[in-house]
Amino acid sequence: MMNGHNSESDHTKILEDEELQRLLVPDVCHLPLTPPSAVDSNFVCYFAPDFIKPGHDQYVYRHANGLCVIGLAPMHVALQDKGGVTAVDFNVGKFDRSGIKVTGKRKRNAQHFEHNTALCKVCTNDNSYIVRCCVKGSLLEVNDRLIKQPKLLNTSANREGYIAIIMPKPADWLKIKASLIGPEDYKNLRALS
Amino acid sequence: MLNEVESAEVSNGDEEAQMISVSEEPPITAGDEVIQALREGVRLLPPQAVKDLLSIGVCVQCIFRLFGVHGHNYSCFSILQSNLYAVLGELIYLDKQILDNTSPKEYSIRHSSKDSEIEPPICSICLGILQFFYYDDKEQPVRKNCPHDLAASISEVVKTEGHQIDNFSFEVSIPPIIVENEQAVRFYMESKYGSEPWFHNTFRPECISVKDALKLYVVTPLAMSLDIQSSPSSFHVRLTYSHAKASSRTNFSEGIQDSKRRKAGEKMCSDTKKSLHGLLEDESSECCKLPLEKVSQPCSLSITCYRKPIYIGGRYLKYSRNVSQTRWIIDDERMGEASVEEIIGGTIRPMCRGDNYKFHAAGREDIDVRMLGSGRPFLVEVQNARIVPSEVAINDIEEKINNCKKVRVKSLKVVGTHGWALMREGEMEKQKQYAAIVWISRPLEDEDLQNICALKEMKISQKTPIRVLHRRSPLEREKIIHWMKIERLAESSQYFLLHLCTQAGTYIKEFVHGDLGRTYPNIGSILGCMAEILQLDVTDVKMDGFNTD
Repeated sequence: MMNGHNSESDHTKILEDEELQRLLVPDVCHLPLTPPSAVDSNFVCYFAPDFIKPGHDQYVYRHANGLCVIGLAPMHVALQDKGGVTAVDFNVGKFDRSGIKVTGKRKRNAQHFEHNTALCKVCTNDNSYIVRCCVKGSLLEVNDRLIKQPKLLNTSANREGYIAIIMPKPADWLKIKASLIGPEDYKNLRALS
Repeated sequence: MLNEVESAEVSNGDEEAQMISVSEEPPITAGDEVIQALREGVRLLPPQAVKDLLSIGVCVQCIFRLFGVHGHNYSCFSILQSNLYAVLGELIYLDKQILDNTSPKEYSIRHSSKDSEIEPPICSICLGILQFFYYDDKEQPVRKNCPHDLAASISEVVKTEGHQIDNFSFEVSIPPIIVENEQAVRFYMESKYGSEPWFHNTFRPECISVKDALKLYVVTPLAMSLDIQSSPSSFHVRLTYSHAKASSRTNFSEGIQDSKRRKAGEKMCSDTKKSLHGLLEDESSECCKLPLEKVSQPCSLSITCYRKPIYIGGRYLKYSRNVSQTRWIIDDERMGEASVEEIIGGTIRPMCRGDNYKFHAAGREDIDVRMLGSGRPFLVEVQNARIVPSEVAINDIEEKINNCKKVRVKSLKVVGTHGWALMREGEMEKQKQYAAIVWISRPLEDEDLQNICALKEMKISQKTPIRVLHRRSPLEREKIIHWMKIERLAESSQYFLLHLCTQAGTYIKEFVHGDLGRTYPNIGSILGCMAEILQLDVTDVKMDGFNTD
């Protein structure tokens, strides 16, 4: 398909495509066997064992931009119950947390919660447990997928089963950080492998 | 011819000292025909009224304007001001009526010496602007004798800046009070001479404004001095006159000035006319009382020249994963080792000898994402460029940038202002193509390749990614993945190259790892496993403009 006056630009295009291909394809032997997860790459993971009540282990993933993702740590009592989590209810405290609509860059309408304010109630066959904020700050979002899919907590509490996203003020973060522990310490504490 | 006019000094307790003098030497540069033509025009003027105007401090240039004596006046730019005064002097002192009424005292002072030329006072209308009398930027008083000399000063400023130009636009800005001054003089004339037979023919309600008169005086000699044309241009020469002390004499006009944005001069005309008219009826008004406030200082003149921004556009590629698109500094520390903006803009600006630059791109990519393939369209806006780069210069710029290896530019060229619109359009509408290195938590199957390939125009919903949630609104945005293709990697069963083409504004990383499920569907959910992204490259920004021709 190379006619007279097109051949040069076609040729250039072919060269460019080859160059592009060379750039794109990685050297596989330089890639890690198992790469770090997106959570591990972008967040610093903290844990709050026995938060307020014994056995209520929660995690706090803190992003470089200051936002905190709150969730149930692997050894949270709810996750140990037979049958696992069956329901999640955000209607605790004064109003339903899943009903809040936060708008705008300035995050107006966000509720300001204390570290021990209730976020939701997690139910198993036998019991129900209150999950709390852990961090004092503005509540930006709750994971309302949990309402329809509570089982997410059983399969991926550390990822798709997160509970909420909170935006603390820098000073408030520092206060709570002092009482949190890192992943290694949490593993040792709970005798996890 | 001019020598015949006698010099006289009119001094009187209540009146401004006026001086109409003439050197006894013939004028240096010609214009004798012009002077003659002026004389013809002046002959028709009412001597008493002209003398009256001189006595209230109006300069000869403004008198010519008010009475519509022009044309010849503006065409010869080396006529000295003293010549102009002389012509008027002839009119006045050869008038029998005036001579009869002039006291011997007024004639007693004669100047035969050409050295004792007393400067005329600052014009009460134009504040010295048309007399070419001003304070320069070092606050020194400057008097130019003719338009040519003023043009020479302006020309010097332009030459110092060193712009490479073919033409220029000329702008003048004058203090608004000048229009008020003129209105006050008009009303004075109307009230005193309105019933005279010559009034309506000779003293017309509209005349060339101070601003336009100055332009007529200066533009041609300036064009000649710079050896370029005066025509609509991106290069502007601007004279800005300001007067610190001249304040508005009426509260009325002050109100108008405060509440409106106005171009000095014209717009004020009708407003001030109305306001002064109204006040004229009101006996207690003070505004139109003459003498006008005595002007002891001329205006300050600022001569500036600048070129409107030029735009240089093209496409850039970014080969580094440690170079941000724009300069990125947090707490005094730079993120990344360089920025595309500084590499490109910082090379272009000095080659154009511009004051500043602004970098605009059609979209952006993260610092750790390479920009490959056809490249991303961009525009560099250079302010006050002294040179518009030639094709050769553009090639040099391209080479210089490409030598740094981190960034490369293509199709670099000077674009008109339409380039701007092209870019904005490209940002919103166009599709972008990517290649990502993806890992999944189980081996890749042939079925996966087919499933992925089969998905066309797939809608996904993305909640604002957590990594930008701190500065963007929490929204759920629907985006379209136009097509996807998996390219297997020879030595790996869990790594592969994902090629995809998406709607502008799609967050690719989040589409791969799911952002804790907040982007749905995502690669993990489609393949039924966990997915992570290791690297991302932009391989095409589909935009028609900014290509090599």
